[in-house]
Amino acid sequence: MFSVLICDDSQVARKQVAKCLPSDWEVAVHFAKHGEEAVAALREGKGQMLLLDLNMPVMDGYQVLEAIQKEKLDTAVIVISGDIQPEAHERVRKLGALDFIEKPIKPERLHKLLIQNGIFQEKAAVEKPQLDRLEPAIRDCYQEITNIAMGQAGDHLARILNVFVKLPIPNVNLIEASELTMMLQDIEDKETVSGICQGFVGPGICGEALFILSDSSFNDVAKIMDIRDEVDDRVQLELLMDAANILIGTCLNGLATQLDMHFSQGHPVVLGQHRNIAELINTNKTRWRRTLAIELSYGLEGYKVQCDLILLVTEESMKIMNDKLSHLLED
Amino acid sequence: MQDNHALGEMAEFHWLMEMLQTVDVGLVVLDRTFRIKLWNGFMESHSGMLPSQVRGKCLFDLFPEVDRKWFSSKARPVFELRNRAFMIWEQRPYLLKFPNYRPITGTEDVMYQNITLSPLTSTTGKVEDICMMIYDVTDVAAGKKLLESAQVTLSELNERAGG
Repeated sequence: MFSVLICDDSQVARKQVAKCLPSDWEVAVHFAKHGEEAVAALREGKGQMLLLDLNMPVMDGYQVLEAIQKEKLDTAVIVISGDIQPEAHERVRKLGALDFIEKPIKPERLHKLLIQNGIFQEKAAVEKPQLDRLEPAIRDCYQEITNIAMGQAGDHLARILNVFVKLPIPNVNLIEASELTMMLQDIEDKETVSGICQGFVGPGICGEALFILSDSSFNDVAKIMDIRDEVDDRVQLELLMDAANILIGTCLNGLATQLDMHFSQGHPVVLGQHRNIAELINTNKTRWRRTLAIELSYGLEGYKVQCDLILLVTEESMKIMNDKLSHLLED
Repeated sequence: MQDNHALGEMAEFHWLMEMLQTVDVGLVVLDRTFRIKLWNGFMESHSGMLPSQVRGKCLFDLFPEVDRKWFSSKARPVFELRNRAFMIWEQRPYLLKFPNYRPITGTEDVMYQNITLSPLTSTTGKVEDICMMIYDVTDVAAGKKLLESAQVTLSELNERAGG
């Protein structure tokens, strides 16, 4: 898959640039907070294209361009900067950048440049199927059954931990493979996370549950669970597994009851500890195209704990689920 | 006619039990005080203890290496919330120390285990017992450890080449 590296010291800017990439472009998106990270990522082959900011700490954009020339790194660079002086434009072009986009970045401008430089080809518009968006009634229905399941999961968590759980509004979407990374990027950008995933199957339905806990939550979770030992990697894995067991288990139970079926759960798999969210799910992104994503983000009142539960269900499973839920859809 | 039906049910029960005995997964039924109620063939073979030796005995007395507090805390949501609990080898390589299934060609000394605890509902609708399933994941664990050490070596080589 084509890889795009976005390098900017601002989290907001990184997100904005990622959102401006063509939505039907299947790419692996990587991020770097400054030039040094970017050059390291390029050396690992994580950026056939580089979208580069100029003013950054540690190593700025000009130095990155110089490093690329010096090391003969194979990447197409487009500079995105708030520096609108003509001098800046000229300098980056001399250093090998393909083009220059002024901030704030606009999607149309980026698309045009990508096409001009032959990096991205627009697909014929007719190719997009009609089923692209979820019907509002069906989305409502999924949202409602998740609400109920999630309430039960929250209650279970509250009872085991003895805390008040802030319940979120579930976010239900049909997403493309390329959007998953971006969706996760929204959850947590400035800090590292740890994650668990677990597959589940019911008759005709299959999916995966992802549980993601931000690393800054661990100390508070340990406090709640009354763990006196030092919170090292092993203790953190225990906490991660305990929370994931309860949330995934009860949420799936709640959904299964409402769908009048039973889910089998596979062994949980550790996606990674203390990683970048993009690194967690980079594997086999190409095997699927579109999935139903139900996103739940839990918080605990009075504590700095943030965790996200994402249920991903394959597109094929949706037919069966819709059938099972048809009684809810009728007036 | 009645007799035939009863005989059929008996036969069915018989082969169901035989399957439980021979399935290559450890099956143990535990009550609320962690006394053993069922111990299948997998458990018998790997532990060397007969069902008659373990029946009615407490798991922690038979296997002092099992951390009582840890295991009880994992079992609590299963009893109280009817929630399945999963423990993976990354947390603890094994619950019960069994030798590797392949003593000659295997690379590890012990059997790495994934454990699932699942609630069993009694006729009164309460969860009085839980079922513990023990899976042998030694090959998965050995493979992953090998991959990780290869990655470390690779990044070290990379660093050396880069510096």
